[in-house]
Amino acid sequence: MQALEQEIKKLVIETLNLEDLKPEDIDPAAPLFVEGLGLDSIDALELGLALQKAYGVALASDSKENRRHFASVRALADFVSAHRKS
Amino acid sequence: MMRRRVDRLGRIALHAAYTCQGDSPPRPMVFASRYGDMGRSVELLEQLAQATPLSPTSFSLSVHNAIGALYSIARGDLTAQSAVAAGAETVEAAFVEACGLLSEGAPEVLVVVYDEPRPAPFAHFPEQVSFPHAWACSLRPAGDGATYQLSCSASTGAPERASGDVLPEELSVLRFLVSGDARFEHHTGSRLWRWHRDA
Repeated sequence: MQALEQEIKKLVIETLNLEDLKPEDIDPAAPLFVEGLGLDSIDALELGLALQKAYGVALASDSKENRRHFASVRALADFVSAHRKS
Repeated sequence: MMRRRVDRLGRIALHAAYTCQGDSPPRPMVFASRYGDMGRSVELLEQLAQATPLSPTSFSLSVHNAIGALYSIARGDLTAQSAVAAGAETVEAAFVEACGLLSEGAPEVLVVVYDEPRPAPFAHFPEQVSFPHAWACSLRPAGDGATYQLSCSASTGAPERASGDVLPEELSVLRFLVSGDARFEHHTGSRLWRWHRDA
């Protein structure tokens, strides 16, 4: 799971062009949106697309579920490992 | 956190805008670019052609007023803004727009001009931009100091460009503004724009 968390951190940094951050700067349990990394709704869409491309995971339109999956790097890793197709 | 969203063109345009703005109070702005962030549009069109999903970030930034909008969001600045594009007359159109805002009562208007070479597959068309550039200036209603006039009439044909003039045409208005020259004539198609500086 730690390897997947590391991979997702890299994906977040590359996809969102977080040029000043390194994977080790991201706390896997910290919030990604608003607080923590301070990402916004466009970032969420961009990240959803990147996850779909990298792991074949489809995000439902249910926003409550998505909010849970996108809560942190750790939550994303849990979601990806449960649903990944590639 | 906004910086990561903008490419080269956005960065140079915003650099000019921030430098010109300084610590002054917010004022209406005119963002002027002949071609804008064309690279993003090309990228999106290519993704569409290949039936791959579009980047939401690129999509949100592909509109002509996106760079001004980022400036507004990053500064929390709700002052009026326009984004203009008018071919070879883009700079003149920006100044006309700015004069409109001044005549409506704005004490000062900031004009930001920016462009970069068009990407493939549009690179080979005529009137290519020579190099990435951005500049900004602040306009106030005529008062003390140098004043300028800008007028437009029918052109009877552009004169030959002086040989040895190596400055690209898209920078000719900027050169006039900083040179202290008394006049500059800009022929674009059927129109002649006359810039005049009163001492």
